This record gives sequence, C-alpha cells and structure tokens, in this order.
Amino acid sequence: MQIPEEYGGLGLSNTMYARLGEIISLDGSIAVTLAAHQAIGLKGILIAGTDEQKEKYLPKLASGEHVAAFCLTEPGSGSDAASIQTRATMSEDGKSFLLNGSKIWISNGGLADIFTVFARTEVVKDGVKTDKITAFIVERAFGGVTSGKPEDKLGIRGSNTCEVHFENTKVPVENVIGEVGGGFKVAMNILNSGRFSMGSASAGMIKKLIEMTAEYACTRKQFNKKLSDFGLIQEKFALMAQKAYVMESMAYLTAGMMDRPGVPDCSVEAAMVKVFSSEGAWICVSEALQILGGLGYMKDYPYERYLRDSRILLIFEGTNEILRMYIALTGMQYAGKILTGKIKEMKKGNISVAMEIFMNKFHDRMGRKVDLGLIGKGGVAHPSLDESSKKLEENVYYFGTTVEGLLRRFGKTIVDEQLVLKRVADVSINLYAMTAAISRASRSMSIGLRNHDHEVLLTNIFCTEAYFKNNYAMAELEKYAAENLDDSIKKVAQQVLEKRAYICSHPLDRTF
Amino acid sequence: MNCVRKLLLARELSARPGVLRQLAPGLDLLRLQGSSCAQRFWPVPVRSHSKFTPAVKGDQEKDGESRDGSLVPLEELFDRACKGERNKAAFTRAVELFCQRDVRRRGHIEFIYAALQKMPQFGVERELDVYNKILDVFPKEVFVPRNFIQRMFNHYPRQQECGIHVLEQMENYGIMPDNQTKFLLLQIFGAKSHPVRKYQRLMYWFPKFKHVNPYPVPVPLPQEPIDLARISLQRIAADLSAKVTVYQMPLTDILDSGKEITQPHIVGIQSPDQQELLAHHNPDRPVFVEGPFPLWLKKTCVYYYVLRGELLPPGEKGEMLDSERNFYYPMHLDLDLDRGPWDDEEFDVDEAEEGPIFAMCMAGAGDQATLAKWILGLQQNNPILSQTPVVFHLAPGPRELLAASDSEPGEEEIPQSRRAQQEC
Repeated sequence: MQIPEEYGGLGLSNTMYARLGEIISLDGSIAVTLAAHQAIGLKGILIAGTDEQKEKYLPKLASGEHVAAFCLTEPGSGSDAASIQTRATMSEDGKSFLLNGSKIWISNGGLADIFTVFARTEVVKDGVKTDKITAFIVERAFGGVTSGKPEDKLGIRGSNTCEVHFENTKVPVENVIGEVGGGFKVAMNILNSGRFSMGSASAGMIKKLIEMTAEYACTRKQFNKKLSDFGLIQEKFALMAQKAYVMESMAYLTAGMMDRPGVPDCSVEAAMVKVFSSEGAWICVSEALQILGGLGYMKDYPYERYLRDSRILLIFEGTNEILRMYIALTGMQYAGKILTGKIKEMKKGNISVAMEIFMNKFHDRMGRKVDLGLIGKGGVAHPSLDESSKKLEENVYYFGTTVEGLLRRFGKTIVDEQLVLKRVADVSINLYAMTAAISRASRSMSIGLRNHDHEVLLTNIFCTEAYFKNNYAMAELEKYAAENLDDSIKKVAQQVLEKRAYICSHPLDRTF
Repeated sequence: MNCVRKLLLARELSARPGVLRQLAPGLDLLRLQGSSCAQRFWPVPVRSHSKFTPAVKGDQEKDGESRDGSLVPLEELFDRACKGERNKAAFTRAVELFCQRDVRRRGHIEFIYAALQKMPQFGVERELDVYNKILDVFPKEVFVPRNFIQRMFNHYPRQQECGIHVLEQMENYGIMPDNQTKFLLLQIFGAKSHPVRKYQRLMYWFPKFKHVNPYPVPVPLPQEPIDLARISLQRIAADLSAKVTVYQMPLTDILDSGKEITQPHIVGIQSPDQQELLAHHNPDRPVFVEGPFPLWLKKTCVYYYVLRGELLPPGEKGEMLDSERNFYYPMHLDLDLDRGPWDDEEFDVDEAEEGPIFAMCMAGAGDQATLAKWILGLQQNNPILSQTPVVFHLAPGPRELLAASDSEPGEEEIPQSRRAQQEC
C-alpha cells in the first residue's frame, strides 16, 4: 500500500495506511499476513533499495503476485538480533554471495517469493576483518530455499509461519540492500517504521469489540436487571472506550508527524504507540471476554480468537520489554547530552549556567508554578481541558527533574538498571498518551466535532489516572524511596533463580 | 549430719549382714511405695542414705569385696545379651533383661548410665526408640512430687540428673524426642521437673535448628560409589545446569588366563559455562589435571580431581561490546557521566585470581591411565581437548575410593608432579 504509484502501488501516506489498518485488523491473521508482506517484508527495498532493485521487485510485490517476508530471527537469536549465525560468503568471481543458514518463525515463510534476509558477511575495514550484518533480497527462484511446515501457533493461525532454510543460495551482488556491512541501519529503519500502525489496528479491533459486547450487555438480563446496569460492567466499557480513544489519538498523531516533509525520526513515538496499544489491546479483549462470561469462552464466539490473536501483539515487532528499554535509553541519551553540555559549560567557568541551575533548584524547593503554555490566556489547549493540561504540565516538569537526578546518580551505568528504565519508559508513554489525548480533545472542542464532550470526559479520566500513575512511578524513582522495592525484588528473584524453584516450605510442613 | 547417717547405715548393715544387695535404692522404693506422701523425718535419713548408697557401693567395690554390686553384672548383662553381635536387637534385649530381672528395678540409675555409655558400641546412639526404652527403665510415678515440700526441694535429685543425662545424650546426637518421650518423662518425673524442663527446651530449640543448614548432606549417605560420586560432585559444582556423566562403571573381570582386571568407576561433571570457557581456551596453552582433593561428607572422605587452566594475563581477556550488537536499543550510552559516589554500591573486593576450572571428576583409582580415560570421555563434548596438551599434576594420594573408613591422607608426602604430554 505504501509503494509509490510509479511502481504500481497505492502510494499511501502513513496516515492513510493507519486508517486502512483499522479495518484490516478486524481479522488478526489477515492483518499479520499483510503487515509481514508490506510493513516489514518489502520496506527494506522501499527505504534503502536502489532504483534498479525497486524497478525489479516492487511492481510484482505491489500487485500481490509475489509475497514478501522478513527473515531475521534464528533459533539462537530472537531479541539479540546481532548474534545471527547465517553466513553469506563471497564467491570466487566476486559476483555473488552464497547464503547458508536457517531462520525460524518467518511470517509468510511458506508463501513468500521475495525474502529480506539478514546474514553475516566478512568485511575488511582498515585491514581488520570483522563480521558485519548485511541485508539481501533473496528470491525463491535462486534455489536452495526450503521452507518447513507451518507452525502450530496459539493465535493468528491463519497466517503462515514457518522455518526457512538457505543452502548455498546464490545471491547476486546487486541484491544487497544498502551496502555490504550496513545491515544494521537497514534493519533498524525497517523495524522502527512499521510500528505505529499497530495503534490504529488495535483501536479498530477494540471499537468493533465494544459494539459486539455492548449488544450483548444491553440485552442479557440477570437478577432482573440488564447487565449494562451493573457498575462493574459499566467500568469495563469505560475502560475500553478510553483505551481505544487514546490509542487512536497516539497512532494518528505519530502518523501525522511522520508525514511531515523530510524524514522525521519518529521511532521513539512509534515504539510508545506500539507498547501502549499492544498492552491496551490485551487488557481490553480480556475484559470484553469477561463481560460475556461463559459465552466469551466458547469457540462459537469470536472473542477467544481475538484474545489469542492479540496476545502476539505484545511479542512480535520488538517485545514490549525491549521497546521500553529503547524508549528510555534513547531519551536518556538525549537528556544526557544536554546535561553533559551544561556540566562542561559550568566547568569552563560559565557563571550564567551555574546560576541558572542554582535558581532552578531553589525554585523547585520553594514550590514553583509550572507554566508550559497549555493553560491561560495564550494557552493552546481548550479551557475545558484545563485540569488535565495542568496535570500534564506538572508531570512533564517533574519528569524532567527526575531524569536529571537519575543521570546524576547513575551516569552511563543506567543501561544496566532495567527496573529504573522501565519506570522512566512508562512515564514517557503516559505523557505522550496524555499529550495526544488532550490535543485531540481540544481540536474536537474547537471545531465542534460530534460528541466532543464525550471525548473531553474520556480525556479527563485518562489524564487523572495517568497523572496518578506517573506520580507514583516518579516517587519510586527518588533516592531511598520507601515505595521503591527494586532491591527486594532483585533479592527474591536471585534466591528463586538460584534454586530454580519456589523455595518456601509448604504450609503443611512440620518440624516435629 | 554425715556421721549420724553413717552410724545409722552401719546399724542397717549390721542388722542385715548377707542381704547387702537389697540396700540398693530398691529399699527406699519399698518404703516409698508403702508410705504416704508425707515424709517422716525418721526414715528420711535412711531414704536419703539410699541415694548415697551408690557411693557406698562404690566404696564396697573399692574394698574389693566381690559383692553382687551393680556395675559388674551390668557388663555381663550386655555381653550376655549381645552374643557376639552388637546391634539394636541385642541392646533392647539387654534392657528388657534388666527390667524383667527385678520388679523394683534396683540399680536402675547405674544401669541407665552404663547403657548410655554402651550405646555407641552397639551402634544405637541415633535411635529414638532405644532412648524411649531406656527411659522406660525408670519406675513410673514414683519420682513425681506429691506435695509442696517435695516440690520445693529437689525431689529425687539423682534420678532427675540421670533423666537429664539421657536427654543430654539425645541432644548431643541431635535426635528430636517425640510424644512417647514426653509422656514417659511426664509419667516418671511429673510436670515442672528438671528432665521435663530440659525436654521443653529441647523441643523449643531443635525445630528451629532443623533446617538451619542450607546445604544438608543426604541422610543416609549412599554406599554405591557412583551415587556417592554423583551427589558429591553436584555438591561441589553447585550449578544446577551442570551435567554429571558416568564415563566408566566399576567392573571386575576375570580373563581366561586367570588374571583379574578391575575397572574403577569414573564419574565426571561439567556445566555449559565451563564448556564454553573450554571452547574459548587457547589450544597452545596446556590444561592441568590436579588432584586428588579431599571432600568430607560427615564421616566419609571422597577424593576428586580437577581439570584446570591457567590464569590469562589481563591483556587477553574479554571483548568489548560493539555498538551494533543490539538492533533495538543502545546497549552503551555515549555519555561522559559516571555513577555518583553515593550510588556506587561496588565493594573494593580483593579477589584472589585463579584460572578457570573446566571440569571435575571422581574416580576409583587416581592414576594417570584412569584420568586419561576421563579426558578421552570429555573430548566427546569438548573437541578442543584433542589439540590441547594435558599436564597431570597428581599427588600420590589414596588409590581407592574410601567409603566410611578413615585413611591416612597421602598428601602429606611431597607431591611429585609427573609431567607427561599427551596428545591424542
């Protein structure tokens, strides 16, 4: 869909792609097959391919004659993608590479004709031979490409996922994407660009679910009352509506940002969208199934299929844990550079910087009022969102000071403190979500879209909850915080993993 | 007071010349059983005398007069009962013999002390029911104080001490008493007596100490050399991923020519981390087989051998993480900031560096041929061993696996390092 029209594709922008994703996501297997084909399978050629490669492959891929697949994962390397063992050796005449290795869990592996394969090649740089990763376009017609039988999965059973083996596959030198040894950048770009559509896809699925579940809740009667009259059921619907709203806002905000002229780097925002949407989708589908009770559990109804399909959302395209690390560390890198800059200035003897830092700390102590321009006379947000905006501003400012404190405490060893980074990532995701929701609600109010007051309600609920969670997370990040249980958690984990079992004595054990 | 007592005793002795045996505590038992709880002051000296009669009897023994004193027949009792075999059945038979011999259980305190001494010889010191049987020797409900005066003054102190000694022996061997013991003690001495207090103390502390060892040795220790080797190797390695392989089973073969070949057992252990270390080992440097090192498991000593490499000079160690390792997030931040001194939780540990240990084994015989078989077996999973020179640093220690007998450690001799290059 995103292939330019000159090659036969639709040439859709990111926003339009996200919109289409909403509809396709109604069936998980179809969505995954299409995503594997276009979001990652042919993205490599699209982003980093030469014109000849695009000419050669994109037309057939756009029409659907050939299907693409993305081959990165191996039995020994899932998240640790740079430890792959597949080798590509240069042949004697220097015109082609011989590819040897096997990949597992390749979506569309059985159907695909074009594979984007990542393999290790020997690169000579300054006389030193190192192994670097290179991306290749491999056609099934090159020979030596075999695929195993489709895997028996928990969900998305409609999509074809299988092992792919390469035995002395001859790949011409022209089929290298980017340059030899540049596979790392290509992989990163491909992976970072496909994520944002998950937000709108999940939102579409949840909207459909709300419709189906509400139908049921409003007709079924228990204790002479309709299910929809019970508070707990109503809470579930509110949760689903809220999550769907925020997911949509985030996804389209990111898509809009990516559609700006130039090539803006929205990888962090896309990662945030993916994390929030996958977890939100899992929770919402679970709640929807819960509303139906026993019927939701039956295979006759689609809820359990939705549940199984949405479980993979948390795992593929970068597991949520990895992405949290990414969000936090990219942010830390950016913040760290500014901080080191300031420290350098201070050390050089620049008094103004030192005074500025001192006054900032002083004002923090005295309880400052934060004004980031969202409220008040020149405020950007609509006045009915004043409270939420205030909460957002407070959170943002407090987050800034927290991050600075963390960098001062840990420095670059923060890479190893995953529990700290997880909280940082959670706060940033919440902040981004709040921003997206407030801006969308503000726009709805200002231009008078239908049901804008409902949107304002949703935004306010979400912002209050997120404000509370953020404050708690940031309180845990303080030094010597009483709420911080990291040390105890690590100790428990260490003791359990030492014995590789649950170590407490059974409650019925006796000593005499 | 003492002289008065001796006078009275002398009167008793003179009164009944030939029946000195009956001057045992059994006499006071008669009187106790006959009398009411009120202590009459006249008989008191006699009764308290009887508690001193063991001393008197001891004097008698010292006198050399061959009376039918308590200690001599006790020895005979035990010898007679065991009939050459010293085990639990014999011991219980001896105790029963004593009990049946006399309803009044005269000389029971001496008997109990003698029995406590004899228990290790019969090998029953860790059996709880034997202790219960010994406690059973005490006559019941006789020593229970019946009024406040008896309760005030240490009632039947010798018997209480004897009871305490039984419980102390139980405590020394770490045996937890059970309900039967409690009922016996209550029946014999009554509540609030010293033995019952000691029992209560035992029952307070022993459950707390039962699981205090995080690495308990299994009881009973297996006698089979392969099982023993497996348990002790897993104990040393302390790694749950380590795999124990039996390279050779013990075998005794008799060839046609009549010669006997004995094959000692070889049991080895290696964990995946050790395998990786060995795979990264430089084949130009030698690896050393050292041993035997002793490992004590309660009363058993087993010996193990170690395959070890040398410490690498710091230049050859480790590889830096390259920046393209992780596709998803940066594993190394390019900042100029270090951990603040308040958060630096690293301790300045002075570690004694030693080279990597690649595998361990226990073998029935500690000579080079057997250990060479072990190395051959290790080569299955670690092909690099075929190119690495193996140096054997073997101390002339014990040649056989010793299981429950003490041996003189051969390590006291100067270990002669026999250097031998072996390439297969």
